[in-house]
Amino acid sequence: MPMYQNGEVDPALKALEARQDEIMRKLYELKAAVDGLAKTVTTPDADMDVTTLTQTTTVSAFTGTADLDALLGKDPGALRDIVINANPASPPLSLLVLHGLLCQRYRVLSSVHVHSSVSSVPPQLLSCLGPRHTESYTRQCFQLGFTLIWKDVPKVQMKFSTQSMCPIEGEANVARFLFRLLGAEPKDPIVATQLDSWVDTAFFQLAEGGSKERATVLRSLNSALGRSIWLLGQEPSLADIVCACCILRDGQALSTPANVQRWLQACRNLEHFHCIAPLLQ
Amino acid sequence: MTKEEVKGSAEEEQQAAQSKKALKKQQKEAEKAAKKAEKQAKLAADQQTTEEDDFAQDRYGVCVLLQSQEKLDRSLVRVCELTPERAGQTVWVRARIHTSRAKGKQCFLVLRQQQFNVQALVAVGERASKQMVKFAANITKESIVDVEAVVQKVEQKIESCTQQDIELHVQRLFVVSQAEPRLPLQLEDAVRPEVEGEEEGRATVNQDTRLDNRVIDLRTTTSQAIFRLQSGVCQLFRDTLTKKGFVEIQTPKIISAASEGGANVFTVSYFKTSAYLAQSPQLYKQMCICADFDKVFCVGPVFRAEDSNTHRHLTEFVGLDIEMAFNYHYHEVIDSITDTMVQIFKGLRDNFQTEIQTVGKQYPSEPFKFLEPTLRLEFKEAVALLRSAGVEMGDEEDLSTPNEKLLGRLVKEKYDTDFYVLDKYPLAVRPFYTMPDPHNAKYSNSYDMFMRGEEILSGAQRVHDAQLLTERALHHGIDLEKIKAYIDSFRYGAPPHAGGGIGLERVTMLYLGLHNVRQTSMFPRDPKRLTP
Repeated sequence: MPMYQNGEVDPALKALEARQDEIMRKLYELKAAVDGLAKTVTTPDADMDVTTLTQTTTVSAFTGTADLDALLGKDPGALRDIVINANPASPPLSLLVLHGLLCQRYRVLSSVHVHSSVSSVPPQLLSCLGPRHTESYTRQCFQLGFTLIWKDVPKVQMKFSTQSMCPIEGEANVARFLFRLLGAEPKDPIVATQLDSWVDTAFFQLAEGGSKERATVLRSLNSALGRSIWLLGQEPSLADIVCACCILRDGQALSTPANVQRWLQACRNLEHFHCIAPLLQ
Repeated sequence: MTKEEVKGSAEEEQQAAQSKKALKKQQKEAEKAAKKAEKQAKLAADQQTTEEDDFAQDRYGVCVLLQSQEKLDRSLVRVCELTPERAGQTVWVRARIHTSRAKGKQCFLVLRQQQFNVQALVAVGERASKQMVKFAANITKESIVDVEAVVQKVEQKIESCTQQDIELHVQRLFVVSQAEPRLPLQLEDAVRPEVEGEEEGRATVNQDTRLDNRVIDLRTTTSQAIFRLQSGVCQLFRDTLTKKGFVEIQTPKIISAASEGGANVFTVSYFKTSAYLAQSPQLYKQMCICADFDKVFCVGPVFRAEDSNTHRHLTEFVGLDIEMAFNYHYHEVIDSITDTMVQIFKGLRDNFQTEIQTVGKQYPSEPFKFLEPTLRLEFKEAVALLRSAGVEMGDEEDLSTPNEKLLGRLVKEKYDTDFYVLDKYPLAVRPFYTMPDPHNAKYSNSYDMFMRGEEILSGAQRVHDAQLLTERALHHGIDLEKIKAYIDSFRYGAPPHAGGGIGLERVTMLYLGLHNVRQTSMFPRDPKRLTP
């Protein structure tokens, strides 16, 4: 049977493709459901325990090869500390998720501070980076510092190498920077651009847009997630993280289409999403 | 005509002219005398009429010296309590005459009490006579007066006073204590912001004049605010530590041996021998730890005989010292000290906003910023930060004052905090009783704390093992005989401990962003000043 007829794809092939996609989707659903079940079976206090899931949900996409010296220039002989200023009124959920991913790859010294410009911060924001590292008294033993400061700032701000870099503003840009440290960004320029585009969509249209705009984005998310399990194909990426965080931040009040709902549940089942669960109540 | 003749005639002419002038002068003088006599007569007449006509005679005057003759049942209202709610009430107020301005039948007074002031009005009318207004206008500045007055709401806010919504209509006015007419410095000049003074070409008072006349300078709103805030620092320090279970101790200031080398101690003659003034209560704090007091603090004078005339050195200052036994890691102590500092900063931010703003009017500065928990960096990181900014320095070199300031700026840029801890100093630059770092013998378990890029606290885990302490002392070339008592106190079981001390004046100065530590010392002592 010829594959092409008059330059058109054989409808039979198309149908096959669709069927396979459907199977993959169902398989993933099943996996998510089993994960969820495993969580409730093994620990009664589901949100608190992440260690039991470490083995089951490790994401291969985030284990690319990255070397901090190659990414950030030569070793300064001291802790490379990333400082993030964020407003407690709108916690940057996507950055907390990325922090979880960084912790899987590097020895990260995480600390949370409250700046004098804000008077009180809810306790769950103070513990959002997880429990303190047991060796936190030896700063030199860590590869990366992640210092989150709750501060009265209009926009999320990142300060890293103050001598050579200007402060980076906007949660989207900080998220891109952190994601690159994982060395898992797509190599294909088209996919990389799609990723950037999803990140923009998430922060400009989902987070800040009106209800109409949000509905439009949800529709396009729904159709994209009809084609593949994750936004950019077979593996979760930054696009999934930021879009999911922006939707989750608004709460469940939105009427979310079926594909999106399933995908959201899949996201929440990822281990590194667990840290934001206490902030969503 | 000969020259002589010419000269002679010229002289004659001159004389004639002179005599004419003299005549005129005499005439004028006579007129003046007449006027004077007239004036005097008028004055006398006035006085007579005063004595005759002054219906308000017993409503004003100079009080007799107050020797506690009477115990009046009269309550004095504080100026800060004069609010619109009291409108219509008749109150008694004791205050100073800040300024007075007479205008025809009225006299406006600004009455000041500490950092608050209120406008008062003496006007000719039912209750006050012309003579009373005149008397009010003639009271010298800074005199203390008792005033009975009615509180009145005003239509327009009085911008120049702290009590802007009301004024006092004076009914009685008595001088309790009279000030000499000439003041060594004007209070308005002393509170004028420096920049503004230069622009307008108006007078400002320089530091030495202020300090020479400290009693008057301390009356300014700025000084009042500074020292009220300083008292707050002390209070918050005590409260926080007491809550944490600390015990306040008192230690002797006359000691037999210098604690940290003999170079910068004051020697005093002590009967047939000599003694020293304590540079820090270091030894005594540690002895208290060995004596099972566990957590101690001490507020008291500390002496430094350093002949340095800088903006931040005094020869006598108030030290706030902490020493604390810990369980396993000296960071327990760092956390305790930094938390105390943060509580102080928070307390000042929340309870002393008026004072901070008052000082800010004269010495504008950015509000003090800090993080909770406090940022802790290691010495190595500081060196890396400084190197990235182009400073060349060795790994084990101590921070110079300019580098300290630069580091403060770099830290502020990245973390936006004015307060941070620098941990793990090189062992070589610390005193002999500093505990070495177990992982790297070149470093030590010691730390400095900084406010606005200037060091305010220097502390460390102390060696609590007599053996190691002896070794370290020998390494530093210290005569063991002189510190025998100190080393001996660790022979009978000593808990691991750490501590540190801060200077009250420096903390106040840096919190408010002032530039000279003398501004925050009530009666500063430096190599060149011993009075007042």
